[in-house]
Amino acid sequence: MTAITTGSSIGPTTTLGPSRIVSVLKLQFVNRWTTVWIPLLILGAILVMNIAIWALILANLDASADRAEVQEGFQYSGASGYIFVYMLVVAVQAMNLTFPFALGFGSTRRDYYLGSSLAFVLYSVGYGAILTLLSYLEEWTGGWFLGGRMFTAVYFGNGPWFERLFVFGGGVLFFFMIGVAFGTVYVRWKARGLTAAFVLLAILLVGAAALVSVTNGWEALGAWFAQAQAVGTVAALLIPTALFGIAGFFILRRATPKS
Amino acid sequence: MTTIVQVTGLSKRFGRFTAVDDASFSIEENRIYGLLGRNGAGKTTIMQLLTGQDFPTEGEISVFGNRPAENAAVLQNVCFIKESQRYPDDFTAKHVFEAAPWFFPNWDSEFAARLISDFRLPLKRRIKKLSRGQTSAVGVIVGLASRAPLTFFDEPYLGLDAVARQTFYDRLLEDYAEHPRTVVLSTHLIDEVANLLEHVIVIDDGKIIIDSDADALRGSATTVAGLASAVDGFVAGREVLHRETIGGFASVTVGPLDAAARASAAEQGLELSPVSLQQLIVRTTTGSESEWEDKS
Repeated sequence: MTAITTGSSIGPTTTLGPSRIVSVLKLQFVNRWTTVWIPLLILGAILVMNIAIWALILANLDASADRAEVQEGFQYSGASGYIFVYMLVVAVQAMNLTFPFALGFGSTRRDYYLGSSLAFVLYSVGYGAILTLLSYLEEWTGGWFLGGRMFTAVYFGNGPWFERLFVFGGGVLFFFMIGVAFGTVYVRWKARGLTAAFVLLAILLVGAAALVSVTNGWEALGAWFAQAQAVGTVAALLIPTALFGIAGFFILRRATPKS
Repeated sequence: MTTIVQVTGLSKRFGRFTAVDDASFSIEENRIYGLLGRNGAGKTTIMQLLTGQDFPTEGEISVFGNRPAENAAVLQNVCFIKESQRYPDDFTAKHVFEAAPWFFPNWDSEFAARLISDFRLPLKRRIKKLSRGQTSAVGVIVGLASRAPLTFFDEPYLGLDAVARQTFYDRLLEDYAEHPRTVVLSTHLIDEVANLLEHVIVIDDGKIIIDSDADALRGSATTVAGLASAVDGFVAGREVLHRETIGGFASVTVGPLDAAARASAAEQGLELSPVSLQQLIVRTTTGSESEWEDKS
């Protein structure tokens, strides 16, 4: 049977262009519940629990000297670290699931990767800003009125706002790009590729550690970190961040969305 | 007719396994194609190659005049709905339809809304919590409402019930009549879609074994039934596609019959009946050495 055609036929369009990258960018923001609200809710819950713990500890101390000593210890907090790991998982999920979805929607791998990377940069700036704000809030409230430290933990430094933004945002971006790199390895070569990548990474890390040991460099390395502080460390992390980002691009360029 | 897809000597191998073997065919604009074949015949692989989701081992593919892989100008005119399409874990159908217009310039949200109610699709439930049929409905709605100039449906209705499948066929035909475009449909349910298809491409074991106008294909075979001796006499010298015998009776499928042959069969008291597309394809894809294969 030949269907009777009455309407105007749909011909190929040639417009759009760079807006394809923007489409992917928007796609990474379409479900904000997963990428914004849930992580912020968890962050809030962790903060509340920390405040409760700080209050419990302080309530059981009498001497003000003890209190000062304990509050001194509060600066070694890893409580906000989870948000970085969460973003790593977001990036892995994006590569594993949003990638085949976007390709079904007619996106190219290039546009998908550039749009997604741009989205991760925006998320990093956003989370950097939120964490910076919280760090100031923590200072202004004298550590949530308990001398607690979660966003001004010793590792983040206490420089001016742009340094904090850089440290938090750069840190989040570093974790995003680790997720991107391993996510693309999985999409391209599945579990075997991932195993190989972990083995390779382990070899590199052990090799680096061995190199530092052989050259008696631990002291120098420690001194470097002490001198570089958070800002210098994150600046140095931008190198692996960029390498992960570039590697991800070329790995994904030949990946196929298998079911 | 304008050719929008041209495939020449296309092969795809995964290690030692050949999924697509030296396939050549073309697809004309504004027709509905059936890409038919058994499981694992290579249908999905062909569609993945045509939509740039996979890369050919050998051969040339041209879609809208260009190679599809990593070509945004080509791919923005293509929609590929896979049976196994994966969605981001916590996406709801609402997220999918919200994002669709960013990728498909011809997206019709009113049409999508109508389809959503036709298929009774819950919009706010996460896709991984949807039933198999509801998940298929998401893909079907995207495929129809995107109105992409070249739309691929790969087994689009796994898990959909008969009513929903009929809705899909009806909407596809209606919308196709108003907005002609090229549709490639791959399916097992050949009889159900037989009336939709204008052109049929059958793939078996990675090879294209039939590439024919659907009307021509429907007239290309007839089943002759009657006393075995009479049937055998009648079919002698004709190409025999299939033969079944029960006692003294035989039922034999042969190639095209002209008016004279039909009249002669009637005189001999032989019963002639048309062969459905599904029967025809089953018979051509199970018999490994049939003459039919060589002919087409």
